[in-house]
Amino acid sequence: MSSSTVPPPPGSPVLRISGVNHHFGTGDTRTQVLFHNTLEVMPGELVIMSGPSGSGKTTLLTLVGGLRTLQEGQIEVWDGDRGDYRTLRGTPEPELVHVRRLIGFIFQRHNLFDSLTATQNVRMAQRLRSTTGDPDADARDLLQYLLLGTLDIQGKPQKVRFDYKPAQLSGGQRQRVAVARALVNRPKLVLADEPTAALDANSGLAVVTLLQNLARTRPDDELAALVRSGEDAGEAGRLADWQVPLLRQIATATGTTSLIVTHDARIMNLADRIVHMERGRIESNVVVAERLFVRNGLRQSAAFAAILPEEQQKIADELLVGVHPDLPVRPDQLAAHPGRVEVYDPGQDVLRVGDPVDEHSKFYLIRRGTVEVWRAPEGEPLRKVAELGPGRYFGEVALLMDQPRNATVRAATRVEVYAVDRATFDRYKTVSRPFIDRILENFGPAGEA
Amino acid sequence: MPRPPAVPLAWANLAHDKVRFALFTAGIGFAVVLMGVQLGIMNAMLDSNTVLLRRTNADLVLVNPARKSLLFREGVNRRRADLARQVPGVRSVEPLYVDYHLGMLRHTADDPNERTQTRRIRVVGVDPDGGLLNLPGVTAADWERLRVPGAALYDRKSRPHPDQARHPGETVFGALADGVQTELAGRDVTLVGNGFELGFDFGTDGTLVVSDRTFAAWIRAPYAGPGTDPLAEIDLACVRLDPGASAADVQQRLRELFATGGDVDVLTRSQMIDREKWFWWTNTPIGFAFGAGVVLGFVVGLVICYQILSSDIADHVAEYATLKAIGYPNRYLSSVVLQEALILAAMGYVPGILVTLATYAGLTRLTGLPMELTFPRAGLILGLTVAMCVGSAWLAVGKVKKVDPADVF
Repeated sequence: MSSSTVPPPPGSPVLRISGVNHHFGTGDTRTQVLFHNTLEVMPGELVIMSGPSGSGKTTLLTLVGGLRTLQEGQIEVWDGDRGDYRTLRGTPEPELVHVRRLIGFIFQRHNLFDSLTATQNVRMAQRLRSTTGDPDADARDLLQYLLLGTLDIQGKPQKVRFDYKPAQLSGGQRQRVAVARALVNRPKLVLADEPTAALDANSGLAVVTLLQNLARTRPDDELAALVRSGEDAGEAGRLADWQVPLLRQIATATGTTSLIVTHDARIMNLADRIVHMERGRIESNVVVAERLFVRNGLRQSAAFAAILPEEQQKIADELLVGVHPDLPVRPDQLAAHPGRVEVYDPGQDVLRVGDPVDEHSKFYLIRRGTVEVWRAPEGEPLRKVAELGPGRYFGEVALLMDQPRNATVRAATRVEVYAVDRATFDRYKTVSRPFIDRILENFGPAGEA
Repeated sequence: MPRPPAVPLAWANLAHDKVRFALFTAGIGFAVVLMGVQLGIMNAMLDSNTVLLRRTNADLVLVNPARKSLLFREGVNRRRADLARQVPGVRSVEPLYVDYHLGMLRHTADDPNERTQTRRIRVVGVDPDGGLLNLPGVTAADWERLRVPGAALYDRKSRPHPDQARHPGETVFGALADGVQTELAGRDVTLVGNGFELGFDFGTDGTLVVSDRTFAAWIRAPYAGPGTDPLAEIDLACVRLDPGASAADVQQRLRELFATGGDVDVLTRSQMIDREKWFWWTNTPIGFAFGAGVVLGFVVGLVICYQILSSDIADHVAEYATLKAIGYPNRYLSSVVLQEALILAAMGYVPGILVTLATYAGLTRLTGLPMELTFPRAGLILGLTVAMCVGSAWLAVGKVKKVDPADVF
């Protein structure tokens, strides 16, 4: 249990990678392995780094961890002890040592000292940080939770392995000791390379659940669902009932961010953000919640309701800005993804009645804020007919019917909308044509906006 | 803010594999023995050449600066000794006569054929009443008997006869015992007393102690010109101080007294001993041979220790890299290597010094060389051992510093 640390200011990332290039070798053999990597990770996010081997994931991890000299670009890591970011570019070794102490590393190989017992190996990490409470008891709790203590998954007594040396432990047990070593100081940033590769289903689940609970406290019923019989658990693994209270005890402090390189589907499903790399480039940076939000929003529209989920996904992915829908989009994030999200101030019109529809016209999905829909029945003044909130869409009918806008949409608050351009819209409109026609028949020109 | 207790990583890494650790210890111990024995033989040789000086009761000595070793002949004029007696703080100045070249001792055997053989022996002449020599085993009565011209005290530890099977207990001069009659420089001498123990050295096979009068008559007079005093030249003038007088002050005064002449050097006894050792150290191959032996032992130990340390680093590259990755500074890793070196030094030294002691005892019994392990010498060997291990740690630290934390992923 580390002493009190300060989280970054609201809306600020815990890790900021900007414009990072990296080369290996010198002279003729110099090859670039990372190209313009830019990424922000928010506090408490579980980030999965995916991509084929050789795509630069590990290199990026070593740069973030301060294990390699940063050549170009900048990496900033939030130092909760200091209440400030630590920049890694041109940082001298002694200061890099401090950055490394902020981070919990889980390596693919356990790298335990074969001459030290499990407890001593964990203690090597504990020695680097002063703590509150009893460090030995904390280490034992952690090892106990990771099934190396007095109880096994069935709750039966087993041999305590605290004082075993690595040679007396199985591969999975060693890996769990290494996990305990990485997490015992409760780092706010965890960098892990295939942390569960050597683990069986149950201990893999224990590790993943721990990482997740260090990020944010999971509700009791979710944890209770993991306490199940072996038959129910299957490949997914299960927790023992005695592990749950212990988990609550060792994961009191939350807000831990994890960057995990993995192919383990069990972890993939828990990801808050999935970063995919190809040939040294970050090809996609998806906030899972945002993707879900956009996809669900699009699905409501007749234009997209009938197409395949993969295609819905594809359209959604072209709208994402990599920001959780609970958080506002900053101008620099808008600029990084031009045209995807538009922002309107209160009182500003998004659409005006009578606006002609041309190739620049768009379809909108509300990300944040509320809009008012004003309509003018024949010859009458504009009248507010509806208010729409996050997750609702507008601007569909004019594009479908290819006629001028039939309503004015005005921002009631600061509004962020995802904007689907006409070309994308039309591409899928043809696919969905029969379905759309039916809808249009049913609702006629009464459809909104 | 509590922290868990320190992890004895250096010790754990070394002691983890008991067999290897025993071998490591043996390796370092071997280097310790090598250095210890070489140093022991060297010191024994230098000691054996200074036994006489160490048995001389003198606070200061006057010696001819040209006499780089007692082996040579240049003496101090007796008038110089007389002058020295006038200096405040000087209680007495007594002459010690030593001759390495003229004392030919006839074999003591009864068989006339063997008696034809003569051998050179060191002859020391002192005033029997002077108490100048501290010779355990020589009684007051023996000193009294020495007054008789031609009486001589003998060295029981003279060089032993090489064929001890057929001549048990005999020296190269034959059997030496109270009452034995033989010839010294062609004149009769009678051995008296039960003998003392000085031992042989590079210059001599043994020592006879005679009275100054016998020394003058037997050794010096035949070569002194007519009418000259055979004892005009003193080999070593031994100065004893008044109680409470400062040796340094008196030495200073004596030096000032003899400054102009340049024919007298004033040294403390230990300076004289060092000077004698220095002569043998620099003028014989002892220094080189055994110095090289010590260097060899040191280098062997250095290499062994370096091998141990660097193989430990090589075996634990991933682990050390991990320590770096989780935030241990290079300083910590270097200190682990240094601790390992110091543990090796300590663990190698203890058995090494015990084996050295046993070897000393064995060699002394075999050769008669006075091999002693004094505290300063044991300290010197410890110092060399630590220097050896720290030196190799210093070499090995470079390796651990080069460990790349990025290699752990």
